[in-house]
Amino acid sequence: MQNIVRTRSARIGATVAAMVLLVAVVLYLGHAKGFGAIQYVQLVLDGIRGGSIYALIALGFVVVFNVTGIINFAQGGFVMSGAMLAVAFNNLDLPLPPALQLALAVVFGVAGTTVIGALVERLTIFPARHSHTLTLIIITVGVYIFMQGMALLVWGANAYNLPAFSSLALEDQILRSGGIMLKAQSLWIWGTLAVVLVGLYFFFERTILGKALRACAINRRAAELMGINPSRMSLLSFAMAAALGAIGGVVLSPATRPIYDMGLKLGLKGFIAAIMGGMVSSPGAVVGGILLGVLENVAAGVTRAGFKDIFAFVVLILILLFRPQGIIGGGERGVEQ
Amino acid sequence: MKKTAFTALTMIALLALLVGGCGTPVPTAAPTTPPPPEATTPPEATTPPEPVIGTTYKLGFFSSITGPTSSLGVPERNTAEMIAAQLEEAGGVTGPDGVIHPIEVIIYDDESNPEIAATVASRLIEEDEVDAIVGGSGSGPSLAVVPLMQEAEIPYVSMASSRSIIRNPETAETYKWCFKTPQENFHSGGWQAAYVEGMGWDQVCDIYSNDGYGQDCLAQTTAAMTEKGIEVSYSDSFEPADTEFPQIASVVASGCDALVIGAVPPGAALVTVAAREGAPDLPVVLGHGVCNATMISAAGEAAEGTVFPCGKMMYADGLPDDDPQKELLLKYREDYMAFTGEGPEGLSTFGGHAYDGLLWVVEAMGSLEEGLDVTARRAAIRDYIETNITDWPGTGGVFNVTPEDHLGLTYEALGFVKVENGTWVYFPPEEW
Repeated sequence: MQNIVRTRSARIGATVAAMVLLVAVVLYLGHAKGFGAIQYVQLVLDGIRGGSIYALIALGFVVVFNVTGIINFAQGGFVMSGAMLAVAFNNLDLPLPPALQLALAVVFGVAGTTVIGALVERLTIFPARHSHTLTLIIITVGVYIFMQGMALLVWGANAYNLPAFSSLALEDQILRSGGIMLKAQSLWIWGTLAVVLVGLYFFFERTILGKALRACAINRRAAELMGINPSRMSLLSFAMAAALGAIGGVVLSPATRPIYDMGLKLGLKGFIAAIMGGMVSSPGAVVGGILLGVLENVAAGVTRAGFKDIFAFVVLILILLFRPQGIIGGGERGVEQ
Repeated sequence: MKKTAFTALTMIALLALLVGGCGTPVPTAAPTTPPPPEATTPPEATTPPEPVIGTTYKLGFFSSITGPTSSLGVPERNTAEMIAAQLEEAGGVTGPDGVIHPIEVIIYDDESNPEIAATVASRLIEEDEVDAIVGGSGSGPSLAVVPLMQEAEIPYVSMASSRSIIRNPETAETYKWCFKTPQENFHSGGWQAAYVEGMGWDQVCDIYSNDGYGQDCLAQTTAAMTEKGIEVSYSDSFEPADTEFPQIASVVASGCDALVIGAVPPGAALVTVAAREGAPDLPVVLGHGVCNATMISAAGEAAEGTVFPCGKMMYADGLPDDDPQKELLLKYREDYMAFTGEGPEGLSTFGGHAYDGLLWVVEAMGSLEEGLDVTARRAAIRDYIETNITDWPGTGGVFNVTPEDHLGLTYEALGFVKVENGTWVYFPPEEW
């Protein structure tokens, strides 16, 4: 008992020391570049925005992993498909007021991708459901490559635009205060994340279907014995993951330029965020995503932006080495399992 | 049994998806094989007056039809197809001995990827056995194929701007077989420095794309600025897929007077938008790589007021009548729009780079006598370009290719423009 306490306090001490060192290094590098408080606040704000998108994507990874044990690398494809479908719909020449058309485009992007997610499960995962998990994971990699290829065929290699939700134009409204700027789209992104989290909470806690999903996650065999059909749950988890990814892609679109290959990097970042959160925990995925976004953006800001992805992957390696159960919580199931 | 049925169903569904996707017009990597009927070598002695059809010449072409630099590669590919169609209509080129040679233009896609560029170049050299190659939308793919061309001894005209394509950066030796047609970041850098100096600024920041083109932009901008005593106080790269731009915080903190962006759209547009959001009052100076409609459509309002050097293609109708390039530029614009069915928004200087390079090679092919083998033809085409492209008005400028300079352009090749109300406006030094 004492031993455990001692190792735990040693571990906390080491973590605190590492964090102090990290902050010191960041401040030192920032000082060399002439950063003031404004720059740090700006970097953190932008990081939270990017991180919120990672969080939405990570939630999709968690839902599928919990129910099926699969790491779904097609998740990035769902992000791209949500964004591209919304753009395609919004670019249609319809006699609708722009706000309504954009709203419908968002719904179309998310709904269309949800259907794609369900199709992916039925057409690729379901037929191979008796295979080893590793086989299924590789199938999802194949699905991603297929989706990216299809997007290239349909939309070509051009970068597209989706108007900002507030201004309904290419240029977003920008809130400025004391040298800090905040895009209105950031507020949409955070609002969306909050609504999604509340929605997921009610779904998992208050509905039979949500409880069935959780039962599947806790013990698949026992859930099956209770009359829950695991293949239906698998279908549901993929559809949900697709919807979550698409929501991320759609709200992100006005802040970037959607393009057929945007899913790869976003998918990988979402995966890192999910790993940071322990792969099984939804709150963990959200914290992981935001933490990753901030870390990445601040680190890139004080060093060189070209190193951004290096930081993300260093985080991935460190987490897998030292905290495979995730940063928060002592999740008893993790990727090590 | 049930499983088989399901697999079959899956296959059908996937096929349906594929077919559905293929319905839309899409750039493909498939080689277009236009004119030649059978390349029949005529019986030699018994050929009096009627036109004689000689060997079919092969002209290899590759550009970035897909991938991040496709905004360059697509108009280049269109131009190559246009020239192939014009050659087919004319039946080919006539040599000095009166023999007509059909020209087959073989087109590949390098997917904006240097490795794939090397693969398609090898294919053109070894399998298609072409007489000359025009290709490479970006500096990355072009630099990747230079060693191949040098080794195989193939005349090669690049459509990318880096000086290292035609000159070894370490030994400063001109590559014997490599030429290029675009104005260069070196010229762009000169304009940028002149503008910054003209505005009385003494400190600039530079953000460049993390590829061969962007790095060359940074190097040339820095060299030109340093020469005029202007400091590049901060520089950093970005990736075209970036969603956040932490660089802007550093730009603001560094307190520079202007931001120079070394990239092509859509990346350049993303940085321009980010700069306008994070530092709305900071002037933005771009390079000549943004002279196409993609920049304005992708950056929208943020492009307003940005300035950059730009080839004369985009505002050819505004040039004085005695400009040696005007007639050719107007002809190219007209032909291009008629061929592609696009409006003026489809025009870009990049298509012009392809046009110049292809016309050099076609003109060189027209100088060949019948009866040369492929090695001799390759050598003769190279020699022709090096010695005969003098006072040669092209879309990119008036070329004077020499053994030392395989580009042959001066400053006058570029003009300087400003974006106003969503279009380019000529912005000469008098108006600064």
